[in-house]
Order: sequence, then structure tokens, then C-alpha cells
Amino acid sequence: MTPLLEARHLVKSLGGRRVVDGVDLQCHRGEVLGLLGPNGAGKTTTLRMLYGFLRPDEGSISFDGIDAGADLTRVKRHLGVCTQDDTFDGDFTVEQNLRIVARYFRPSIPRLEPRVHELLDRFGLRPYAAMRPEALSGGFKRRLMIARALVHTPRLLFLDEPTTGLDPQARMAVWDLVDGLRAEGLGIVLTTHYMDEAERLSDALTVLAQGRVVAHGSPKVVLGDALGEHVVVVATAAAEAAGVGAWLARQGLDTAVGVLGEWHLPLRAETLADFARTFPGLRYEVRAPTLDDLFLKLAVA
Amino acid sequence: MRWLAAAFDWQSRAVVERHLRVHMRNWYTAFLPPALEPVTSLLAFGLGLGSYVGVLAWHGREVPYLSFIAAGILAYTTFMTAMFQSLYAAFIRMHFQKTWEGQLTTQVELRHVIWGEVLWAALLTTIYVSIVAAVLTVCRLLGILQISLAWLPAMLPVLFVAACAFSAIGLLFTALIPTIDHMNLPIFLFVLPLALFSGTYFPLEHPVARALNAINPVYHLSEGLRGVLVGGGAAVHLLAATALSALLLAILVPLDMRLLSRRVLGE
Repeated sequence: MTPLLEARHLVKSLGGRRVVDGVDLQCHRGEVLGLLGPNGAGKTTTLRMLYGFLRPDEGSISFDGIDAGADLTRVKRHLGVCTQDDTFDGDFTVEQNLRIVARYFRPSIPRLEPRVHELLDRFGLRPYAAMRPEALSGGFKRRLMIARALVHTPRLLFLDEPTTGLDPQARMAVWDLVDGLRAEGLGIVLTTHYMDEAERLSDALTVLAQGRVVAHGSPKVVLGDALGEHVVVVATAAAEAAGVGAWLARQGLDTAVGVLGEWHLPLRAETLADFARTFPGLRYEVRAPTLDDLFLKLAVA
Repeated sequence: MRWLAAAFDWQSRAVVERHLRVHMRNWYTAFLPPALEPVTSLLAFGLGLGSYVGVLAWHGREVPYLSFIAAGILAYTTFMTAMFQSLYAAFIRMHFQKTWEGQLTTQVELRHVIWGEVLWAALLTTIYVSIVAAVLTVCRLLGILQISLAWLPAMLPVLFVAACAFSAIGLLFTALIPTIDHMNLPIFLFVLPLALFSGTYFPLEHPVARALNAINPVYHLSEGLRGVLVGGGAAVHLLAATALSALLLAILVPLDMRLLSRRVLGE
């Protein structure tokens, strides 16, 4: 099956620095692709290339088999974009925002009026339809941004950190909306700093570090490939701490992350067995790895 | 020539439409400046200063000062309206309101945003100049001005092209100035001097000024309009204004696109 979005070997340099360095990724219909990585990993630049804001220096992007480099305008008709910053039009009301953005798409949106009203209802924006966007709470501003991105019934939606700065209730409301859109068959490319969000929403993850893809697959596969099956939590104040440090160095794991007086050591099954044999008297906890561990490992690396 | 073709794309029109909608919402306050500014200028410069000046020698003819500055007001309005739209208004849309970024997430591309700003500034300028012309017509009917306005509507295309060029200059500053606080630099070092020393409110006879004004589209616009309003050699100046404006557009719009691409897209 042709992927809805396919990027091959994307390269982009900004300010003389190679920010994206050979990124490949795919997103299919009805799939949420989480694009993860620490600050400066190249997520936003990759996303900006994918939705046509920036042109790649090298590589290709195709939407449903159409080469974006050859016909970007045609491709953009099928893309919805919710940027990290609020970029709604402050000169118009909430309802007018949906209408004005519709004018930036051709072929024109058939039955625009019902579509605007449908989005106002679906996103809970009806009571605020006549208000200026600045008057909305953070959660409703995000809803407006997503609604704006959907006016022209795109087939692929880009969400760049859609819940940053929102309270837990507003975040979950956005999650519900994303879940509903996926169920309708939309492809969604999502970036986020919240690992629980990425884990809950994403069907597949592409993890970037220093502009390159370092892991790809389902959250479980990515964690297994990048971290191993277990995370051992050891107090850094333990009597054997020095020995553990030396053991880590021998294993090539000296990038282990210390958090609040504890080491969180991602280990594969065989390495865990060696750890247990080496430190039989040490008290430690073993848990399953999370995306937070991955994120911290990448950030430290 | 892709940069030029973008001026005729539907996306550029969509951007102009957006600006027009915003403007028309507050039309009653938006159209006050062009209606009142010429009245103020005619009162201050014309009736006030003009009562001391009386008549001026212009190309070997005697012209009442009020009639002299009527053309100057039109040229000044053309220059200032286009410049301020593409300086302040465009900078606010680009930097503070993030309107451009919002537009760029759609089928609109940066070249359309830029042409949209240029064409909108020119459209607004043409509307403002028409309002100023209406005020001048009233003054003519009241016998305050001795000018001929019959050919003025035919000048609107020339004014539109000139306004496009002035807007392209304004966008160049928008691309270059780091913050809105730096806006005073182009305003006081370039815009106001050019607006006032282009034969708009007084004739410039100094040889250096005349030499500099040979390549000044505001001067040629002012002189061309004066020729139309009070009679005299208008054609040469209007042709020069049009040619210089076209040249400015050909140089500045691609340059604006390059500089704004760096600023807005980071490329």
C-alpha cells in the first residue's frame, strides 16, 4: 500500500549547520506517527519540510505518490498544519478564522458553511464563535488551531507540540480529538515533548537525534531497540556505587542518567544477568523502560 | 520570472482579500486619514503658508501655491500610504501577529504573501488617493483651487504601479530592521526626507537636488501630477515615474523574497 506520506533521505542545513541529516519516514492512513527527539534534534525542521514550509536541500517528499517537489501546491491542498505557536488570525473572530483560512485553499471547499459549523460544534468552539481568539483559554486556542487545520478536510494532519503549556484536562481533550481524527482515517504526524502523550497516541515512532533517525517502529520496538528490555534503578549513594560506575564504564554505559540520586540504567536481558551476578548484595529495582528513559538517554548523548 | 508570475496567482489575491476584509471592518476610521490629511495640508500649507507665498514660479510660469501643493499632496499620499503599509502594518503581521506564518501553512507560499502585501499596499494607496482627489474636487468646486482634475482618473494606474514600487521599498526595510523600535531609522533617515524633498510642497531648484531627483520616482510623480493638474509637461515625468517604479519592482521584489525568506523561513 502506498504510504500517505513518504520522505526519503531529507537533508537540510540552516545557518551553515546540518540540522536534518538523511531522515527517512513514512506515515499511513489512520496512523499517528510520533516524531520524537530532544531539543535541537531536528524535529521541527523535519516537520516544516514535510508540510512545505521549508524546501529540503536533498531528498524527496511524496504525498500519496505525488512528488511534493514537483507540485507542492497540489500536495498542500491535502495537508493540515497546526503549528507550535498560535498562528490564528487575530484580526478575525473564532468563526471568521475558519472562514478566512478556507480562502487559502483551491479547489475551494465545497459546502463551507456546514463545514465551519461542524467544526465549531465538534471542537466545542460554538460558545466562543464571535470572540477574538486572544480571549480564549490555552486549551481552546489549541482547539481553534486544530480546527483551522481541518477546515479543508485534509488527509494528513501535522501537529507540532499540540499540547505544550496545556493543563492535564485540556491535554486529554486534545488527545480525544486526535484519537477521533485517526479513527476517521486521517494520517497524523505528531511532535511532542510529553512521552506519555507520544506513547498513548502514536502507532509508530520515529526518534531523531542530531538530525538523524536513531530508532523507528512501534513504541515497544523502539524502546527495545534503543534501550533494551529493562531499566535498573540504583541509588547513587549505595555502598557499591563506585563499583557500579566502573561496571557501567566497562559495559560502555557511562551515559547512564542520574535522576534525583538514582541511576536509571537501561539494560538488555543478558546485561541485566551480568549485573545481577556482579552485584549480588546490591538493592535495586527493575522496571520496564519508558519513552522518558529514551528521551533522557538521547538528551545526555 | 517565477517571482513576477506569483503576482497573478490566486494565492496573492487571497492575501489581498484578507487585508481588505480587515480594513473594511473599520472603514469609517480607516478612511479618515486620507479624507482629513489633505484638508489639513491645504489649510496649513495652502491657506496658512500659502497666504505668505501667494504664487510660485514653476517651470517659468506663475502657479498659485495652493494649486502647486495639490499635486504634492497626491504624490505624498501615494508614497506615504504605500510605505507605511509595508513598513508598520506588514512588520506587525509578520512579527507580532504571525499572520504570515499562518498563511504559509496553507497553499499560500512566501512569494504570494509578499505580492499580497505589495498589491494590498498599492490598492489601499489607490483608494486613499481617490479620496484625496475627491477632497480636491470639492475644493475646486468651492473655488479654493484652480486645477483641472479631468485627467486625474487616468493617472490611477501610474499611481498604482508607483505604490507597488514604494511598497517593495518598505518591505526591504521590514526584512532588514531587527525590531519595531528600529523602525524610526528608515522613517526619519529615508521616508520623511524623500517625501518632503521631492518637489511635493516646494520646488527644488538647486542643481544637486535636481540631479538627485532625476532618479527619484516620488519627484517625477509629483511633477507629473502637477503637469496634469495645472497644465505643463506631464508626460515625461509620468513616463519616468513609471519606468523607475518598474525598475524598482524588478530589483526589489526578488530581493525582498530572498531576504524575507531568510527572516521568516530561516533559509
